[in-house]
Amino acid sequence: MSIPFTLNGKPAAYEGSATDRLVDILRKDFKCPGVKVGCNEGECGACSIIMDGVLINACMVAAGRAYDTEIITIEGFRETEKFAVLDRCFAETGAVQCGFCTPGMILAAECILTKNPNPNEAEIRDGLSGNMCRCTGYNAIVHAVALAAKEGKGLW
Amino acid sequence: MVNGYAPQTLREALEIKRKEQVSPYGGGTDLMVDHHRTGTYLFLHRIAEMQEIKQDDNYLRLGAGCTFTEVQEHALTPPILKEAISRIAAPAIRNLGTIGGNIGNGSAKADSVLVFFALDAKLRLMDADGERIVPIHAFYKGRKALDLALDELIVEILLPRVIPTRYVYHKIGARAALAISRLSFAGLWNVEGGKITACSTAFGAIDQVVVRIPEVDKILIGTPVAELDSVKERYLAAAGEAINPIDGRISAHYRKTVCLNLLDDFVETMKKA
Ligand SMILES: Cc1cc2nc3c(=O)[nH]c(=O)nc-3n(C[C@H](O)[C@H](O)[C@H](O)COP(=O)(O)OP(=O)(O)OC[C@H]3O[C@@H](n4cnc5c(N)ncnc54)[C@H](O)[C@@H]3O)c2cc1C
Ligand code: FES
Ligand code: FES
Repeated sequence: MSIPFTLNGKPAAYEGSATDRLVDILRKDFKCPGVKVGCNEGECGACSIIMDGVLINACMVAAGRAYDTEIITIEGFRETEKFAVLDRCFAETGAVQCGFCTPGMILAAECILTKNPNPNEAEIRDGLSGNMCRCTGYNAIVHAVALAAKEGKGLW
Repeated sequence: MVNGYAPQTLREALEIKRKEQVSPYGGGTDLMVDHHRTGTYLFLHRIAEMQEIKQDDNYLRLGAGCTFTEVQEHALTPPILKEAISRIAAPAIRNLGTIGGNIGNGSAKADSVLVFFALDAKLRLMDADGERIVPIHAFYKGRKALDLALDELIVEILLPRVIPTRYVYHKIGARAALAISRLSFAGLWNVEGGKITACSTAFGAIDQVVVRIPEVDKILIGTPVAELDSVKERYLAAAGEAINPIDGRISAHYRKTVCLNLLDDFVETMKKA
């Protein structure tokens, strides 16, 4: 008996223990290295993924919780037009330095915009509040999301 | 599934809970922190009966499997609960963590639990044979000591249909977004005809369980708003007698001072509103 779920639009199944950490499985068994491991305690957001339409920390999830869910990682999101806009806006505003936090930040940005295509600064900051960045000081990232809301009008 | 069950119905879940040694798994945001990968989890996320929010004649019923986000976004959720949830961690944790798990972890720091105490919530617990309904204050017997049998699950949180409309909520912690609260306060009241007609307060993270002082709250009930000044001193003195925080990382003396300041501020807010 395996754990069935959808990963980046395709059916997937995990045969191992339901108590394994989802972040490890996504990285090792499902070849999604864009899911990063930072704190492993739900505090940094490096492991952010989208599960059933909402942002979650994959380090805080046991494999069995993925049963019957739809998961999107940066590997899947990269194929979308929304990603292209976010990617461009992150680059334009200097929101990427070492890049470690970027996959999580981009997915957090996607969730902010899906919920609210015209977020104000406070809403952007709240949406990013679980994603830590050691390099940029956040302002550039906030600008990137605001810019994406403008440039990607109609996409979200 | 290896080391886990993900049943689709409550009935199945309760039968598994009776037969096997399993840990209920809501959002995992507490379980995964001390994660040793031993044991077996009973995943609750597929059980529709535990994810509902609905109203009947007596109660607003919140499914224990609802995430913080689901509760926060629901039209029927009382504003004080929405505010408390908005101050919990960050969205990605609120999207996973459940209110049943917040109760099940047994901590006096749990933020939704504080509000459930202040609202005199009841818990609907079930085993394979049936249900029982327990007031939340009776459910907490001490730190990590819950009135929950091995074969039971927390299924719903029952809030009274009518609750005081005015409230204050404070969470005083080290960091705004992510830290578990160091001290928290919820106070609700009503005013009718210029008089305080309801008053209920609760303190989180000052003792082994959330602290309620209904006998002290009663002092204010019936008091005309214009006369709150004259009873404030007696109210605070009684609260000072009733509240005895335990020593922890922050001293008991400090915590008590903060509690009394919060109550002072609470009465001042009542005067203005
Ligand atoms: C980074 C971070 C920040 C946090 N910040 C806060 C905060 O600000 N405020 C706060 O209150 N908490 C905070 N928490 C703690 C945690 O998110 C909450 O306590 C949450 O409500 C736990 O719910 P869960 O569904 O994830 O619990 P789980 O981890 O799934 O379960 C917790 C416990 O409850 C039991 N349980 C779960 N559901 C049931 C049920 N239906 N019946 C019986 N037992 C059950 C489990 O077996 C386990 O013992 C934080 C956690 C992290 C990782
Ligand atoms: S690695 Fe998951 S939040 Fe830090
Ligand atoms: S760019 Fe380095 S951590 Fe954010």
